[in-house]
Amino acid sequence: MTALDRVDARFEPGTFTAVMGPSGSGKSTLLHCAAGLDRASGGEVIIDGVPVGGLSERALTRLRRARVGFVFQAFNLVPALTAAQNVALPLRLAGRRPHRGEVAAVLAEVGLEGRERHRPSELSGGQQQRVAIARALVARPAVLFADEPTGALDATAGAGVLRLLREAVDRHRQTILMVTHDPLAAATADRVLFLADGRVVDELPGSAGAERIALHTARLEATKTVSAAVRTDGSGAAVTR
Amino acid sequence: MIAGAVGTGWATVRHRFPRFAGTFVAVFLGVAVVAGAATLHLSSQPQAPARYGQSPVLVTPPDPGTGQDSDRRAWTAREAAGLAARLGSLPGVTAAVADPWFYVQRLVAGRATGDAQAALVDGHSWSSAALGGYRLTAGRPPRTGGEVAVAGLSPGATTDVLTSAGPEKWLVTGTVSGPGFYVADHEAARRASGVHVIGLTLAAGAGEVGDGAGRAEVAAVRAEVGAEGVVRAGADRDSLEPDSVTRIRWLGAQLLIALVMLGAFATVFVVSSTCALSAAQRRRELGLLRAIGATPGQVRRLMYTETALIALFAGLLGAPAGAAAAPLLAEPMVGTGLEPAGFAVTSQPTALAGAILLGLVVALAGVAAAARRASRIPPLDALREAAADPRAMTPARWVAGPFCAVAGAGLLASVPALPLELRSTAGLGAAMLLLTAAALLSPVLIVPLVRVIARPWRNTAIGMLVRESTLTGVRRVASTAAPVLATVGFTVLLAGTVATAEAAVGIDESAKYPAGTLLVPDGTPGLSAAAVTAQGAEPTPSTRLLITHGGATTGVPASGSVTGPAGTGDGPAPGGEFLVLDRYTAAELDARAGDVVRVRFADGAVTSLPVRAVGAEVQVPVEMVRRHDPDALTRLVVLEEDAVAVPGGRFLPVQEYVREEVDEEGRLVDLFLVALIGLTAGYTGIAVGNTLLMATAARRPEFGALRLAGAGTGQVLRIVTAETLLAVLTGAVLGTLVAVISLAGIRAAFAAEVGAEIALVIPWTITAAVTAICAALATAAAIVPVLRRG
Repeated sequence: MTALDRVDARFEPGTFTAVMGPSGSGKSTLLHCAAGLDRASGGEVIIDGVPVGGLSERALTRLRRARVGFVFQAFNLVPALTAAQNVALPLRLAGRRPHRGEVAAVLAEVGLEGRERHRPSELSGGQQQRVAIARALVARPAVLFADEPTGALDATAGAGVLRLLREAVDRHRQTILMVTHDPLAAATADRVLFLADGRVVDELPGSAGAERIALHTARLEATKTVSAAVRTDGSGAAVTR
Repeated sequence: MIAGAVGTGWATVRHRFPRFAGTFVAVFLGVAVVAGAATLHLSSQPQAPARYGQSPVLVTPPDPGTGQDSDRRAWTAREAAGLAARLGSLPGVTAAVADPWFYVQRLVAGRATGDAQAALVDGHSWSSAALGGYRLTAGRPPRTGGEVAVAGLSPGATTDVLTSAGPEKWLVTGTVSGPGFYVADHEAARRASGVHVIGLTLAAGAGEVGDGAGRAEVAAVRAEVGAEGVVRAGADRDSLEPDSVTRIRWLGAQLLIALVMLGAFATVFVVSSTCALSAAQRRRELGLLRAIGATPGQVRRLMYTETALIALFAGLLGAPAGAAAAPLLAEPMVGTGLEPAGFAVTSQPTALAGAILLGLVVALAGVAAAARRASRIPPLDALREAAADPRAMTPARWVAGPFCAVAGAGLLASVPALPLELRSTAGLGAAMLLLTAAALLSPVLIVPLVRVIARPWRNTAIGMLVRESTLTGVRRVASTAAPVLATVGFTVLLAGTVATAEAAVGIDESAKYPAGTLLVPDGTPGLSAAAVTAQGAEPTPSTRLLITHGGATTGVPASGSVTGPAGTGDGPAPGGEFLVLDRYTAAELDARAGDVVRVRFADGAVTSLPVRAVGAEVQVPVEMVRRHDPDALTRLVVLEEDAVAVPGGRFLPVQEYVREEVDEEGRLVDLFLVALIGLTAGYTGIAVGNTLLMATAARRPEFGALRLAGAGTGQVLRIVTAETLLAVLTGAVLGTLVAVISLAGIRAAFAAEVGAEIALVIPWTITAAVTAICAALATAAAIVPVLRRG
């Protein structure tokens, strides 16, 4: 079965892109391939100028560690570690001891000062997600991938998370690629890609507003299947033919 | 990178201790067993006999070169006297005294008293008393035959003793400050079979030689002795411990070594199964680590770090616990004849350190497979809602299982075609292979077996639930049933083999003697000449010979022949000197009838003897045994006429005697069996309990759903209990089945070896006990998580 077909996209640095589409449209697969979590059976993925296809598992892991950040829908944190330890984990895994205050600063940035020593079980869902964002940002990655980051949160907590992502783009020119099915979330992005049946079928600016985005999603129909390729390049992340 | 792994490992260990409880308990017990056993073992060091306490340098005859420690050669009395005279005249040496020893045992009311084996070296020359610093506290030294100096009796008293000649009444001329019977030097030389030790006393004093004092003297002694003997000073003197004591230590060491090996093996087994299960349960967490940038190597190191921390922690607690328990075992071990009297446990830091280290290594070996598998978890697993239940049968099981089954079955089928002496070993090997195969294939075998066992209850609600959840959770059931299978199978096999072997040995031994009555030693190491002649029989004392032929030397037990070479039909011995070899010795020396070989007797004398024949046992004319081994005793006498009561002997029907012999050996074997099976069953309990604890905890949502569907806590408990018992029973049935099949093959091998029909003995009691232990531990482990939910 082909999950993704002839997807050709490019994500410029400092942009916030949302990917939408009905279930099974291939949006998660796109994210996984673009992030180097999964390997595309054909085509090319280039992250921050590095072609992912030929990398060994070890090299791919290092690339992810250095250039890519992740935020998942749920189960984002290692339950045994405190918030600060979770945030410091990517640095430690890279063999680097975090500078004094580095972790605390990132946690403060996501509004969690004073919560450094709390474990995930002692934090609310929204707070956990903010720790996850802090962890994704701490290594200053080229791209941040978010997979339904608000899916498991209530409206208020979700809005907080989206505000954080938006700030990261505006303040630090962070590149973000977010998969979502929530039009409100997609409306925070700079542009919205619509996927159907493994293909990019349409595109709207985020400023089009949640209502138009929702309408667009509803109208999406399945189209023909063709072959897929995924690609990113030096100036950020991209998925191209 | 390492620091990161250690930090993360420590955090997980601290946060998720219950997950590591199985590893902790297994390593704790393993290290405790190893530390305790090693402490006992290291405390049991050979010691020079106390009677050489004042002799810092001991000289023994040269090694006979047979490669066997138990083979010793002796100096003749003349050689010993010559060497002692030369050594005594060296500067700094105050005296060099030969210690010819012989068998003496005190008789009280016609019965031999004291330790039979120790009595073999209880008679000494008076001059050797000085080597132990023993002095007369009253009276005078013995001067002629029939006089003795001993402890505890006043001069002028008489004492009844038993020697190799027979009962004697000795006059006490002096009271000695140390143990042993001291007779006049020429008397001792006459009674002893050669000399095995020359003890030296030095002007420098009795202090341990080696730290400066006496070094020059030792060097001078070495130069003088040359190739005529071996000079032992310092710790080297300890090798003079009597063989009987060494043998007791050796028996104890066997048990301790077996415990250490089994403990280590079982720990690896439990740790690996615990870690595999735990890794499967935390797939998402490990996937998350991979997703945020942990390389496969880092995941592997994380698992290693966690396990190492747990193992170290468990070891640091387990080692002192084991060492603390060791002194409690000293007395039982002395009581069961596994350590010599006076054995005391000393503190052994090396044992503790070694046990902790071994625990660490063993735990890391156990986690290796799980860590390798965990490192291959793809990062995407962090996103999967529920990781799919891994298939029960891995490709490795499909390959190894049938392979072991075919190899085991093939080996079992080929047993009748193998040479006799290989058959029982091959049978045991085949059984081990079949048990391994059954454990590997258990996920496949369990399904039909569960259907059969659960059939009677298939129409009740609980019966249906139990049956179905067992059949769908094959992997879980297999991880409970497989250790039970292995343990029950191991128990049936080992206990059954021993019982069957004992029956076989009994039949085999009885066949050696004509039906009737035997005169056997009664609290003595053998029968005296007088005890035998009193029955109208000729004493046939057993001795040991060192036989050299074509450059090869071997030590063999030999008996005195009265009638000439057995089975040659030559009739009465033609008076000449000759030797009969048994098949094995003849083959070892490459000697055949007609060859002339060099024979060294117990007294150190060397002669050339012609090999008259190759028969069932090594024999020399009985006159030669008497002449060259005056201290030799007769093992037993087959009575043809009426029995005459004698000191140090008793009468037994052949059957009774054989049963006693087998029982004596069986007692030790049973002790070993109980220790080993107990340890195995204990570890199985831990493994099964731990698996169920983790598995049941993971099934809480399922039980929650059951409750919502209207099941009460009691019903949930019954379901869990029934499931557990079903799994244990399945394992036990499978294990017993495989072991019994193998036992049947082993029985056939034994029967062929003995040449008689042997009953198949299946040890039902111990099998039932082991199954019950497993069932009890498993049920407890399974219901605890259910109850905790409340």
